[in-house]
Amino acid sequence: MLHNIARRARHKVLRRQFATAAEQTERDVVIVGGGPAGLALASALARSKSVHNNLSIALVEAGDLQKVRDWQQEPGTFSNRVSSITNSSKAFLEDIDAWSHIEQSRTRPVEEMQVWDGISDARITFAASELSTSTVNELSRLTENLNLQRGLLRHLSQYPEVQLFDKVKVQSIVCEAREENAWPVVHLSDGRAIRARLLVGADGFNSPVRTYAGIQSYGWAYDTQGIVATLFHAPKSSYQGPNTIAYQRFLPTGPIAFLPLSETASTLVWSTKPHLANALKAADPRILASMINAAFRLPNISLRYLQDRILEDQAMSVEQFTNELAFRERSDTIDVRSAYSSLAPIRDNVGGIPPEDADSVPPLVTSIQPGTVASFPLRFSHAETYTGEGSGARTVLVGDAAHTIHPLAGQGLNLGLADAEALTKCIENALLSGGDVGSYTSLLPYARSRYFENHKMLSACDKLHKLYSATAGPVVWARSVGIEVLNELDAIKAALMMTAGSERAGLPGQVGWELTAKSVETFAKNVNGARELADTVKDLLGVGVRQLLQRR
Amino acid sequence: MRIRPLIRPLQFRFGPVAGCIPGTVSRANLSTTIDPALAQSTINQDEIAHFSKLSALWWDERGEFQMLHRMNPVRMKFIREKMMALEDDLDALVTEAEVLQGRAVLDVGCGGGLLSESLARMGAKTLGIDASSSNISIASLHASADPFLDSSSSKQGKRKGSLTYKHTSVEDLLAEYGPASFDVVCSMEVLEHVDNPRGFLHSCAQLVKPSGHLFLSTIARTPLAYLITIFAAEDVMQRVSKGTHTYSKYVNPGELEGFFRTYRSPAPSGAPGRPWIASPRRPARTEAETRGMVYVPWNGEWVLAPRETTWAEGCNYLFWVRRPLE
Repeated sequence: MLHNIARRARHKVLRRQFATAAEQTERDVVIVGGGPAGLALASALARSKSVHNNLSIALVEAGDLQKVRDWQQEPGTFSNRVSSITNSSKAFLEDIDAWSHIEQSRTRPVEEMQVWDGISDARITFAASELSTSTVNELSRLTENLNLQRGLLRHLSQYPEVQLFDKVKVQSIVCEAREENAWPVVHLSDGRAIRARLLVGADGFNSPVRTYAGIQSYGWAYDTQGIVATLFHAPKSSYQGPNTIAYQRFLPTGPIAFLPLSETASTLVWSTKPHLANALKAADPRILASMINAAFRLPNISLRYLQDRILEDQAMSVEQFTNELAFRERSDTIDVRSAYSSLAPIRDNVGGIPPEDADSVPPLVTSIQPGTVASFPLRFSHAETYTGEGSGARTVLVGDAAHTIHPLAGQGLNLGLADAEALTKCIENALLSGGDVGSYTSLLPYARSRYFENHKMLSACDKLHKLYSATAGPVVWARSVGIEVLNELDAIKAALMMTAGSERAGLPGQVGWELTAKSVETFAKNVNGARELADTVKDLLGVGVRQLLQRR
Repeated sequence: MRIRPLIRPLQFRFGPVAGCIPGTVSRANLSTTIDPALAQSTINQDEIAHFSKLSALWWDERGEFQMLHRMNPVRMKFIREKMMALEDDLDALVTEAEVLQGRAVLDVGCGGGLLSESLARMGAKTLGIDASSSNISIASLHASADPFLDSSSSKQGKRKGSLTYKHTSVEDLLAEYGPASFDVVCSMEVLEHVDNPRGFLHSCAQLVKPSGHLFLSTIARTPLAYLITIFAAEDVMQRVSKGTHTYSKYVNPGELEGFFRTYRSPAPSGAPGRPWIASPRRPARTEAETRGMVYVPWNGEWVLAPRETTWAEGCNYLFWVRRPLE
């Protein structure tokens, strides 16, 4: 009886197929989304010999990929969407031969990183030389997202068999009406339909593929906006090293980061409260530039004062603001010649011997590249699983469709690239066993290798965000002076460097663990350092912390 | 060392495949000389009914047959590696992905076609047979959705592989195709469901071409296997339908080895050839091999135990033997 049912069902299916055969095509892997993660996945799959021999690949993107291919920018100016490519991400891009298609002169190595507490000024510095691998002389490489995407598209142009459908939207995704082994069918806005053995959602936070797969995503929006901008500044003096130091200060409103792009340009990622972000975006760019300088230099209380002025008077003139700034610097007894003064005349940076502490803060921002100030909401989200099943079977999520992360460790894009690498490996392995690459079982290793890794990073960044949002005396004291100064700052360090290792044969996260181990070793040594830090804290903070310290 | 595999029951479940075979012998005693019964049909109707009932569940990758789905990559790895190691034509520079290409492969007791589909994707000219017609229906229906496997699809031919299903028993197939018809004969998780394993093995072995391969996987008759596959999987956790396994039908690796120490294929002259396993003590690597399979619950995957890991062969294991060239 079952046999008959099956046979009838098959007949029905065959007939239905005939009806739509004209406009429906079949592809083994259909990637929805032409962002960095989707393009990296397509590139990695295109490069793989076993994939090439067995699978057909298509990528669907709503935007115009030709615009990305033709992307050009004046030398010295930069796009405001910049990512820090870790060494392991870079190694992956090199492995798939895509790295060479990225315009190297527009990338910038980060050789040193300085991270400090916005309230206590407890600071940690780490350099590429600390990495256990002697072959690596940079912590990461700052790259414009468009440069990366263009490079990946150039790489893909060598593989015409990978079909790129751009300027078409995914209209709907439906599960075909088949009793056994139903595949998803992607209907495009131009009337075409693609039947997919494996449907990859690289389609961002609001992923239609994830919705089709019926995968829940949990998370929350941070009450925070990220402001980005391209900053111009004077080149460093000949007494200083090149502009390869990244700076990040954890303010109670969110971290502010200054990341080098060239000798005279850097990029800003400033996470802050939405109302403040709006005020800063609306303000005169010169005021914003001064605020950025101040945000890396002034004590938090003065910074709060300046922020309140901007919020109160959105039409404040540059002059008024400069007066307010000068007032705060005077009351904080900041010498106008020190690196901590935002008002230091520019010539001091060009000629003469720079102040002793010149490298503890980023160069003074002189102007902001027009049109580069933008902001985006920050959120934490993680899909409950990466692979669909049941009526959403044959789906898998990568990149932002699977997870979005606080940008404080600059890991969002790297996680997406790591997903692409892991999924490619998983597909290659499945092919070697004759597996159906769309099947749940074939995709299990991908989910297993990425889910926990991603979750670790997502949680670490989330916790850091929360920890550094705190202004309560005991918390600041604990995170700055006690054991925590090492543990927590080292957690940032580990988070920033966790995927920085270039020896990818080793365990992922190995570098991070080594750093943690090292920090325990040097703990004793640093207890003294912590006492010194206490003095700074005393100066900077209110009575609460001081009392705590005295009690100690 | 006996204790370690006990961790396994946590998520245990595997699946069986409907088998074929005769008669009445319910003891897996392979050393007894049975004989004329060999040519008779060997299908156990109770087993067929059991798996026919479950046939709709074959491709639910997280249901009844989840363990079997997860076991599949390990079986394929074993087949691939064994064939690779014994690749005769050293000049051919065959890669692991190509080792099955163009080979005539028979999958006896294919069930829903889990292994058959994989074999076909690897390029084998695959024939899957099963004694349950509903299994064959489901397997055909499933494969027809896949343009790579569907013989009517235009995409066929990108690779040399093909996939055909047939509702028959191994004895009938032998009668139809004649002996020495396949480069590789596989029968995974079938042996423990047949009543006369000796007759079943005899039929399978006859279908193998000279210097061809026979791959089997089954469950050893040990208290451990009882604990895991019947007590834990069927009775306590109820991950597998009751009645899926019958302890007395389990076959030990030594019994399989013993069978092939006496089994001889007829030489071209008609005279009995040399036994498939001729080495006096341990079978030579080029003759036969037993490898345990262990489920690692925290990884959700099976692993192939290293050679000579005896404890791992106390439950699920793979067995490979090669027909001598004569």
